[in-house]
Amino acid sequence: MTLFSLARKNIKGNFNNYFVYFVTLVFSMVIYYTFTSLQYSEKIQESIELSDTMSFMFGVSSIILILFVAIFILYSNSFFTRKRKKEVGLYAILGLRKKTIAKMLFYENLIMGIIAIVIGIILGTLLSKLFAMILIKLMGSIAEVDVGISILAITQTVIVFMVIILFTSVQGYRLIYRFTLIELFYDEKKGEQIPKVSLISAVIGVILLVVSYWLILKPFPDEFTTEYLIKNYGIAFVALVIGTHLFFRSVTVYLLRLSQKNKSRYYRGTRIIETSRLLFRIRGNARTFTVIALLSAATICFLGATYSGYYSNEKRAKEVVPFSYSHLSKGPEFDSQVESIIKADHRHPIKAKLDIPVIQVKGILSFQLDYDINPVKLISESTFNKVANALNKDETVSLSGNQAAVIQPRFTEYTKSVFKGENITIQLPQGSSELPFVHMVESNVLPFDYPDFFLVVSNEMFAKIAKKEAPLTYKVYEVENEVTAQATSRKVNKLVGNDFQVSSSFYTEYKQGKEGNAITLFIFGFLGLVFLAASGSIIYFKQLTEANEAKGQYEILRKIGVNKKDIRKSIKRQSLFVFGLPLTVGILHSCVTLYFTSNFISNLIGINLIFPILMAIVFFVIIYAVYYVLTVNTYNRIVNK
Amino acid sequence: MNIVVEAKQIKKVYGAKGNVFSALEDIDLTVMEGEFVGIMGPSGSGKSTLLNILATIDEPTAGDIVVDGINLTKMNEEQLSAFRRDKLGFLFQDYNLLDTLTVKENIILPLALAKLNVEELERRADEVADKFGIRDILNKYPYQISGGQKQRTAASRAIISKPNIILADEPTGALDSKSATDLLESLKDLNEQDKATILMVTHDAYAASYCNRVLFIKDGKIFTELVKGKRSRKEFFNKVLDVLSALGGGANDVI
Ligand SMILES: Nc1ncnc2c1ncn2[C@@H]1O[C@H](COP(=O)(O)OP(=O)(O)OP(=O)(O)O)[C@@H](O)[C@H]1O
Ligand SMILES: [Mg+2]
Repeated sequence: MTLFSLARKNIKGNFNNYFVYFVTLVFSMVIYYTFTSLQYSEKIQESIELSDTMSFMFGVSSIILILFVAIFILYSNSFFTRKRKKEVGLYAILGLRKKTIAKMLFYENLIMGIIAIVIGIILGTLLSKLFAMILIKLMGSIAEVDVGISILAITQTVIVFMVIILFTSVQGYRLIYRFTLIELFYDEKKGEQIPKVSLISAVIGVILLVVSYWLILKPFPDEFTTEYLIKNYGIAFVALVIGTHLFFRSVTVYLLRLSQKNKSRYYRGTRIIETSRLLFRIRGNARTFTVIALLSAATICFLGATYSGYYSNEKRAKEVVPFSYSHLSKGPEFDSQVESIIKADHRHPIKAKLDIPVIQVKGILSFQLDYDINPVKLISESTFNKVANALNKDETVSLSGNQAAVIQPRFTEYTKSVFKGENITIQLPQGSSELPFVHMVESNVLPFDYPDFFLVVSNEMFAKIAKKEAPLTYKVYEVENEVTAQATSRKVNKLVGNDFQVSSSFYTEYKQGKEGNAITLFIFGFLGLVFLAASGSIIYFKQLTEANEAKGQYEILRKIGVNKKDIRKSIKRQSLFVFGLPLTVGILHSCVTLYFTSNFISNLIGINLIFPILMAIVFFVIIYAVYYVLTVNTYNRIVNK
Repeated sequence: MNIVVEAKQIKKVYGAKGNVFSALEDIDLTVMEGEFVGIMGPSGSGKSTLLNILATIDEPTAGDIVVDGINLTKMNEEQLSAFRRDKLGFLFQDYNLLDTLTVKENIILPLALAKLNVEELERRADEVADKFGIRDILNKYPYQISGGQKQRTAASRAIISKPNIILADEPTGALDSKSATDLLESLKDLNEQDKATILMVTHDAYAASYCNRVLFIKDGKIFTELVKGKRSRKEFFNKVLDVLSALGGGANDVI
């Protein structure tokens, strides 16, 4: 028998064990391939507004993905190695030369890796088209896009994964040289010591968790500074991470110990076996559980948040760019050129056309506000009301004399009470005048441009100031069905140039937002999937390793008279705990964090996050459930034949 | 008196085509209620195999076994499990303790599985722990105790549920003579007071002298049988030694 065929035989024999790992590996290759092929796909990029961003985002996320996958592969491999130490020792005792064994392990790993790559590339080319279609659908592009086969993406995928696989193969090669024979044989018992209950660390764990939840759920202060953000949520994050680890390490140990105290429950049926098994294993699982819980919390969070961003994009875009088209008037000739472009688009007829005179002045607030307000932009009461009318909003103002209303600066959280009873002194060439704030309104007029500090003043006041300080005139148009006005928007943008920090046409802002959100949603969705698959596979494999070690123990149980049904039940309960615990903690964490983000987001745009969050959670639970069933079946097959 | 165990024509063949090995050949065995039967024979003669078959842990290749009037070969898996749990106490040659349970938890496991109430369970645990002198190690784990202590733990687990039939595979193998005597005495108590039927595999003629009857097995067949009858233990002990030397091997197991 040649070395090669021995290696091949080994793979076949172990295939059942490797299967889940293998599938996960292939899956992550498919996703990696998809990401890189999207990164390089010029056809898609031509058809969208956000082409640079897209290529960049896929580039970055494929790096994140590969880091994650690399960790996953190395981690899984250390498992395989441990599991096979004995086998390797046996070969050595049977008289195979070290070098021969090393080569065999090397080939084994290499063969498996190459098979995975081949399958991964084939599936990748097939599935990446489907995935790209999902992305295009999400982005709302109409263009028929054929992604095609990307040689660049194939090469990159092959090279990257080949490097990782070669690395693990070399590790396999070195296995036999790293250990003495005796070490190869006696390894299993490590970590199988009963954990001590440390009440202190359990208490600290609970306290940290409570503190971090409290910090996260605390309502926003009136003044919302970056410093506060970093301090409050930085501490919350650290407390959450440490607290979670202590939770798995000590609190669960403590709780399990506590459950042992209730003798009439504990000494009944197979519970005694499950509890003690879990207790023995919990230390070894604590770190994995922590990582899984935190990562699933993060994934659910990101998914929920991006989904809601995607969901609320139109509303947000309308806020950032209120009119279909807006531009600064640059003389009648220029203005009519713009107008004729817009008028030429018969499919998007003009609903409203307004002139918006704006006076920029210097102002000093009567109080401290951490917002750079200058230059203050003044518009008149009638302009504001006309805008509201054109955009179908019911928010109107009526002012007299010196009274002023502030329009809430976009992307801030200032409330009415911040401005109540205060005033602003505006400086004009002939002296300054003091304007008291009487209102705060939330309808915006022009596309966002920092600083975004608009004041509405009475018509008389506006006229008076206008005499000294000539207003700039902006022309704005509102058209029918603006969400599809791609061609005209592109033309207008080109002609108008950068009057604002954001685009001057609604469509561009809307579409870019939609595409950006779609890409993030897509990326997080698939990263989440890969993560889920990997974490499920890790738990699966851990359980399997445990099953192999516990074979003898279950045999004893059968000898004492526990029937197969009860053993299966006992395996089910243990696996439920092992899958359920990190998932539950992860979901709890993400609910808390999402409660915070939803506060944050719905303050801005007022939408409901429940549905997307629920979707993300259900999704997680379903995938874990699949792994749970797989685990129970395999475990049962191993110990309960 | 009732027949408790009746085995007819038991065969056990290991291995598959071409490479078969016959561990037991046509064994007939009848054990009456309340008997204390010893099984002796050289290493590899099939003693453990026989015991395992009687304990329903292993299946005979051919033959019928009736225990307490129930034909074991006709029972399904669930019934067999219940039978093992409720009727049998098994003391394994290699202890078979659960690593993740403390000594106490190991001992009470059969009772927990039978869902006995806690008070009764605790009471019996105390009782057997005292009997075998393992009170001090009740909260230790198997990896923390010695071979002899493991054996006593296994013995405690085997008898805690007061089984009708106790099957013991070299129960004194890892014990010093004092603990061995203690264990044998308590088996005798169970036999005499609780009317438990005991089958014990042993290499030790001294242990065998506690039995009413000793079966000798060689190469998977019953070689001969020795009944204590009215003999004193000392006399019986010498008789056993005689047979052992005739059997070849085994005699040098005597300390
Ligand atoms: N699972 C098995 N497969 C093949 N042969 C086996 C198996 N179990 C036992 N044997 C063989 O059957 C024979 C009887 O074994 P058994 O364990 O019953 O011996 P024993 O009398 O208990 O010996 P000892 O006194 O050493 O415990 C031995 O030759 C053994 O090699
Ligand atoms: Mg034996």
